[in-house]
Amino acid sequence: MATYTPHQERHPNTLRREHREWLLFALFIGPNLLLFSVFTYWPLLYNVYLSMVRWDFLRPTMPFVGLQNYIAAFSDPRFWNIIWQTATFTVWSVGLTLVLGLMLALLLNQPLRYRNTARAVVFAPVVMSGAVVAVVWSYIFDPRYGLIDQLLGFIGFDSPNWLSDPFWAMPAVIIVYVWKNMGYAVVIYLAGLQNIPRELYDAARVDGAGAWERFWNVTLPGLSPVAFFLSVTSILTCFQAFDLIRVLTNGGPADVTTTLVFHLYELGFVSYDAGKAGVVAIVLFLIMLALTIVQIRYIEQRVTYG
Amino acid sequence: MAVTNEIERAMKPVNVRRRPIPLSLLAWRIVGYAAMIVVVVIIGLPVYWTVMAAFKETREIYSLPVTWWPAKPTLANFPAAWQAAPFGRYYLNSFITTFFGAAAEVILALFSAYALAYLRFPRKDLVFLLLLAALMVPVEITIVPNYLTVARLGWINTYQGIIIPGAAIAYGTFLLRQAFLAVPHEILEAARVDGAGHFRILFSVVAPITQPAIVTMALLSVVSKWNDFLWPLIVTNTTDMRTLPIGVFWLRNSEGFSNWGVVMAGSLFLIVPVLIGFLLAQRAIVEGMTAGAVKG
Amino acid sequence: MKRTLTRRELLRLMMAGSGAAVLAACGGQGQGGQPAPQATQAPAVVSQPGSKVKITYWGSFSGNLGEAEQAMVKSFNESQNEVEVEYQFQGSYEETAQKFTAALQANTTPDVILLSDVWWFGFYLAGAITALDDLAKQVNLDFNDYEPVLLNEGVRKGVHYWIPFARSTPLFYYNKAIWAEAGLPDRAPETWAEFSEWAPKLVKSDGSRAAFGHPNGASYIAWLFQGVVWQFGGQYSQPDFTMTMTDPNTLRAAQFYQDTVVKHKWAVLNANLNQDFLGGAIASMMASTGALAGIQANATFPVGVGFLPKETNFGCPTGGAGLAIVSRAPAEKQLAAMKYIAFATNTVNAGVWARSTGYMPVRISTKQTPEMVEFFTKNPNFKTAVDQLPKTRAQDAARVFVRNGDQIIGKGLERIIVNGEAPSAVFAAVNEELTQAAKPILEDLKAREG
Repeated sequence: MATYTPHQERHPNTLRREHREWLLFALFIGPNLLLFSVFTYWPLLYNVYLSMVRWDFLRPTMPFVGLQNYIAAFSDPRFWNIIWQTATFTVWSVGLTLVLGLMLALLLNQPLRYRNTARAVVFAPVVMSGAVVAVVWSYIFDPRYGLIDQLLGFIGFDSPNWLSDPFWAMPAVIIVYVWKNMGYAVVIYLAGLQNIPRELYDAARVDGAGAWERFWNVTLPGLSPVAFFLSVTSILTCFQAFDLIRVLTNGGPADVTTTLVFHLYELGFVSYDAGKAGVVAIVLFLIMLALTIVQIRYIEQRVTYG
Repeated sequence: MAVTNEIERAMKPVNVRRRPIPLSLLAWRIVGYAAMIVVVVIIGLPVYWTVMAAFKETREIYSLPVTWWPAKPTLANFPAAWQAAPFGRYYLNSFITTFFGAAAEVILALFSAYALAYLRFPRKDLVFLLLLAALMVPVEITIVPNYLTVARLGWINTYQGIIIPGAAIAYGTFLLRQAFLAVPHEILEAARVDGAGHFRILFSVVAPITQPAIVTMALLSVVSKWNDFLWPLIVTNTTDMRTLPIGVFWLRNSEGFSNWGVVMAGSLFLIVPVLIGFLLAQRAIVEGMTAGAVKG
Repeated sequence: MKRTLTRRELLRLMMAGSGAAVLAACGGQGQGGQPAPQATQAPAVVSQPGSKVKITYWGSFSGNLGEAEQAMVKSFNESQNEVEVEYQFQGSYEETAQKFTAALQANTTPDVILLSDVWWFGFYLAGAITALDDLAKQVNLDFNDYEPVLLNEGVRKGVHYWIPFARSTPLFYYNKAIWAEAGLPDRAPETWAEFSEWAPKLVKSDGSRAAFGHPNGASYIAWLFQGVVWQFGGQYSQPDFTMTMTDPNTLRAAQFYQDTVVKHKWAVLNANLNQDFLGGAIASMMASTGALAGIQANATFPVGVGFLPKETNFGCPTGGAGLAIVSRAPAEKQLAAMKYIAFATNTVNAGVWARSTGYMPVRISTKQTPEMVEFFTKNPNFKTAVDQLPKTRAQDAARVFVRNGDQIIGKGLERIIVNGEAPSAVFAAVNEELTQAAKPILEDLKAREG
C-alpha cells in the first residue's frame, strides 16, 4: 500500500503520489458509500420521484403530477404548524440533551466511587424499548396518582394532565426524549474527555490558571470536536425521532406533538399517500441538509482539532 | 455544577490520599456525591420501576397507588416470558446479527474516518457531506425500496438480509473522524518520518490513541443493532430468524390487555446484556485513556 | 374468567371438538361424509404424504392472543394431512399491512392474511385479496351460520372478501364497588341522560376519581365515539361516502362528549384507561370486549358490564380483524387457505377462540354449543357482550374505508374535548378533510365496482 514518503520530491512525483492517495481515499471510503448508494441514496432518489407522482403504493399506475404535491403541502396551514412543532421539539430536546449531557459527563468524569454504576444508570434509558418507556412514563405523568403529581403536591401544586393536555404534551415528550437520549451524549462527551491530554491541564495549572479558566481554555476546546459532532448528529436524530412520539402520544392530543417525521409516517403508512409522504421526506431532508451545511460552515471553524 | 479540575484533583484515586484533605476539597467531594445521587435517582427511577415491575404480579402493576416495592415478589414472570417464545433462538440471532452488523460498521468507520481525516482528495468536504446526507434520509422512506432490493437479491428471511442493508455507517465515521482530527499533528508527523504506511499509522498510532472514541463508537453501534426492531421484523418471516426485540414485542398483547409483569421481565432480557457490555466498554475506555496518555 | 387458558389446554379443547368440524371444512374433498373421529389417521385424497399443500399465514396477534392463534394453526395442521399452515407473526396491524404492501410489489406475498377493519378495504380496492365464494363452495362453508352483521362487513357487491375472525365491539364497563358505594342500581346506565344523573355521585371531590374515562389515542376514541354518534341519531358518513360530520345530531354527540369533560367535569381523558379503571381512578368506561378477560382477571373489585347507553337510539359498532386470501396465490393454495379459514371459524373453533381471547364468537351455532353455554353461565359478563352483538352494526365508511379516516375524526374529537373548541367549527374542517381523503378512494371504487 501507499507509503507516505516525506517532502522534497519533484512535481510529477508529487502529483503521482497525490493520485495514489486519491485512489486510496476512494478505496477506504468506497465500500461505505457503495452500501449507502444501494440502501440509502437510491431510496432517497426514488422518493424524489415519488414526491412528483400520485400513488398509493398499490395501484398499478402512478400518474406524474409535477409539483402539485409540493404546492398542496405548502398551502396547508397544518403543514406549517407541524414544521413549527418540529422546530420547538428539536430546539428544546437538542439544547437540553447537549447542555445537561455535558454537565453530567463532567460530573461522571470525576474520580468518584461508583461512577461506573452511575454511568450505567444514565445509559440504561437508551436501551429501554419504546413500549416499556411509554408505560413507565404514563405512571409518572398521571395527573392523579403519578410521581410528578406527588412531587408537585409537596410544594402545593396540582400536576397538569401531561399527555392529554395540548399545552403540556410537548414538554412531556421533550422530557422523555431528553431522559432517554441523554445517555448517548454523556457517553460521547466522556470519550471526548478522555482524549484531552493531561499535560494540557498541568501546563495550564503551571501558568496559574484557575479552575474556571482551565475549563474554558482546556476542557472546552478539547471537547469541541466531539461537541461539534454531537450538535450535528443530535439535531439529525431529533428531527427523525419517531418511536417515542408514537408510543407516548401518537402525535396527539389534537395534533400538538405531530412532527415532520410523524407526519411522514401518517401520510406514508396510514394514509398510503406516497406522493405527499414523499414531499414531507424531501422537505425534512432539505431542512436537515441546510442546518448541517450551516453548522459545517460556521461552527466547525471554531472547533480546535489536533 | 461541579466542573473544575480542582475537584478532580481533590477526588483523585482514593488510595493515593495520605495527607488530610483540605476542608474546601472535602466540601467539593460531598457536592460531587450529592449531585451524583440526585442524577441517579432522577434518571434511574423509571429504570428502577421497570426492574421492579418484572418482579410483580400483573394485578399489582395495575393497582393504585403505584407500589415501589413488590408486595408479593415473584420470579414467575421470567420463566413465563422465556417460555412464551423461543428466546434462546432469538438470543442467538441477535448475537449473530449484532456482532456482524457492528463489526462491519466499526471496520467501515475506521477506514472511512481515516480517509476523511488524513487522506487528500479533491472536494473532500463534499464527500463528507455526502456521507452525512445518509443521516438525513428518514428510515421510513427506505423500508419499502430496501425490501424490494433485498427480495430481488433473494435475501428475505436471511442473516445477510438483516445485516447488510444497515452495514454502512455515517454516524460512527463522523465520530471517529472527529477523534482522528484531534490527534496531535506531531504524533502523525513522527510516524510518517519513521516511514510508517497508512495501515500502520491507522492501527498502531491512531487507533490506540483514539481508543475511547473507537470503543464508544463500537458500543453505540452494538446498541443500535441490538435494539433494531422494524427492519428485522420486515425482512424476516419465520420465528427461527427473528431477533430479541421482536420477541419482547411478541409478549405484549396486540389488543386489549397486556401482561405487563411478563413484558417487563422480557424487556430485561434485552437490557441486561447491553448494560453488561456497557460496563465492559467503560473499562476499555479508561484503559484506553491511560494507554493514550503514555503514547501522547 | 379466573385465568387465561394455556396453550396446551386450548389445543386439547380444539382437538376434542374438531372432528366433525374438520369434516365439514374438508367435506368437499372427496371422502363423502364418512365420519373420521381421528382425522389424522384418515387417509386424505393426497396420495403421498410429501405432497401436502403448504401455505403461509400472516397475522398480527402477539401475547396470549398470539398464542391462541398459533394453537389454532397447530390444531388445524394436526387435524388433517392435506394442508400445512405456517403461521408468521408480522407485528401490529399497521406493520402487517405495510409489509403486505411491500410484499405485493416484491412478489413475496403470503396466502392467507389477517387484516383489521380499517385495512382490508384498501387491499380489496387494489385487487390484492380474492373473492371467496367459489372457494367457500368447494369446502362447503355455510355463510348463513355466520353472524350476519360481522360477515356482511366483508361483502362487496354480493361477494365475500373478508371473513370475520377476531371481532370485537365496545362494551360499557363499570366498577360495582363504586356503584354500590354511590347507591346506584347494579347495572349499566340505560341512557346517557341517566348516566349524567348518576355521574356526580361517582366523582370524588378531591379529583382523585372521575365517573367516566375517555381514551386518548385518536383511532381508539374515533371507534368508541362511532357508537355514541349513532346513539344521538347522527353518523360519520353515508354509505356513498357523503360525509355527515356536520349533521346536527353528529354535532350534538360531540357537544355531549365535550360537556362530560369541560362543562360537567365528571369525565377525564387519559392515556392508560385500563389502568385507571383497575386502579379505581375512574368508575366506568367504554372499552373493547377484547379487554374483558384481562380486566376481570386483574380487578380487585367486581366488574360489571352492560350494553352501551342509549340516547335517541341504540348504537354500537363492530371492530377487530378478519381473514382474507391473497389473489396472487395459486389456486391450490387458495383452496388450502379456505380450508384453514373454514376450520378456524367453524362452530367449535369459533367458540374455542372466543373463550380463550374474549373476541366475539363469529358463528351463530357456536352460542348453542355445550361448552359455550357452560362458559356463559360462568361468565355472565361475556354473555352480555355476546348478547349485544346482534344489535351492533358495521362502522361508517368515513372511519374504516377512508384511509386515515379514523385519525382525522379522532384528532378532531380531541380538539373538541381537550381544547374545548366548538364542535361545529372543528367538524366542518374534519368534514372537508374527510371529503378530500375520500376522493381517491371513490375513484378506485368506481374502477373496481363500476
